[in-house]
Amino acid sequence: MAELLDENVISEHITLPAPNNNEGGEDTPFKVSYGKTMMWFFLLSDAFTFTGFLIAYGAIRMSKTWWPDPNVVFAGMPFLHGVNVPLGLVSIMTTILILSSVFVVRAVIEGHRMNQKGVAFWLFLGILGGVAFLGCQAWEWSHLIHDGMTPFYNVYHAGPEGETIKLALAEKAKTPVSPGPPMFGGSFFGITGFHGLHVSIGVVMNIVALIKTLNGTYQRRGHYEMVEKFGLYWHFVDLVWVFVFLFFYLI
Amino acid sequence: MSSHLDDATYHKQVAAIWRATIIIAVVTVFEVGLALSHYFFFYHHPKAIINVFMVLATLMKAFYIIAEFMHLKYEYRSFIIILTLPLIFLVWLIIALSVEGTFWLRLIQ
Repeated sequence: MAELLDENVISEHITLPAPNNNEGGEDTPFKVSYGKTMMWFFLLSDAFTFTGFLIAYGAIRMSKTWWPDPNVVFAGMPFLHGVNVPLGLVSIMTTILILSSVFVVRAVIEGHRMNQKGVAFWLFLGILGGVAFLGCQAWEWSHLIHDGMTPFYNVYHAGPEGETIKLALAEKAKTPVSPGPPMFGGSFFGITGFHGLHVSIGVVMNIVALIKTLNGTYQRRGHYEMVEKFGLYWHFVDLVWVFVFLFFYLI
Repeated sequence: MSSHLDDATYHKQVAAIWRATIIIAVVTVFEVGLALSHYFFFYHHPKAIINVFMVLATLMKAFYIIAEFMHLKYEYRSFIIILTLPLIFLVWLIIALSVEGTFWLRLIQ
């Protein structure tokens, strides 16, 4: 009678396999840990947020007869006052962010080897890259704001032959201009600002990871998975920048 | 604490990362070169063809960032599909808002 009450025994010939102890959710169906899976799903949702912004920006830009030329708008360089270097600063920013992403990948690989000093070294370089990128972005923003650009007003106007002229220069030369689309400032500050916020959060995450690495927290835990999770986020920030770079500066 | 990663795999992974970095760097130089050559030499010609090339180059960069840096290439195939399949909705959004954007343009012309 006791044998019949056992839920694994259906009859005297059929016995179900013993239950495993996966009720706690420790199972990893894709051989990816719970934390990494959830970071991936968060990044997927974040990708939808950014693509929503970028596609809306594309629709607005398509609906205009004229749009300021990024080669003229983004030609300022720090320490080179009055010198026009089209796409100069933004190319440096792209290089910095991609290199920073590479450094964090190197930190993740050193983490797989349990090389505490290696993780700390590459993470530190990654953080430096992030901070340098934010510095460049702050300079670019303040440069545009100094010129009079706001989210609701665009100082770059269309000249007689469709060329891009800053309003102050056009007034000085008495060139007739028609006003540029106000959404230029709105979309630029909105989308690069949202990206910059992500970079700032990523820098904070990497600093936390660096402190915990130096304290030996991950070494004692036996794995550097937290560096991997923060790393995934950091690469995503780089990924978004590649598209922001394309749609705001190249096209 | 023992090492989790043997030396051969380690060197292979590091080489793969630097290879991806060089590809991304070359593609970026190519993109910036295209944009600047249009600005300096072909300013009064339409930019549409160059834009197509730049979008393709950016998608290539995105592939290397996701596959190599984010290590997705080495995950299970079902996991890759779960993460990339939802992006199909973006195709719809791009088409819908392109149509709407050109309609707004016709309204003001």
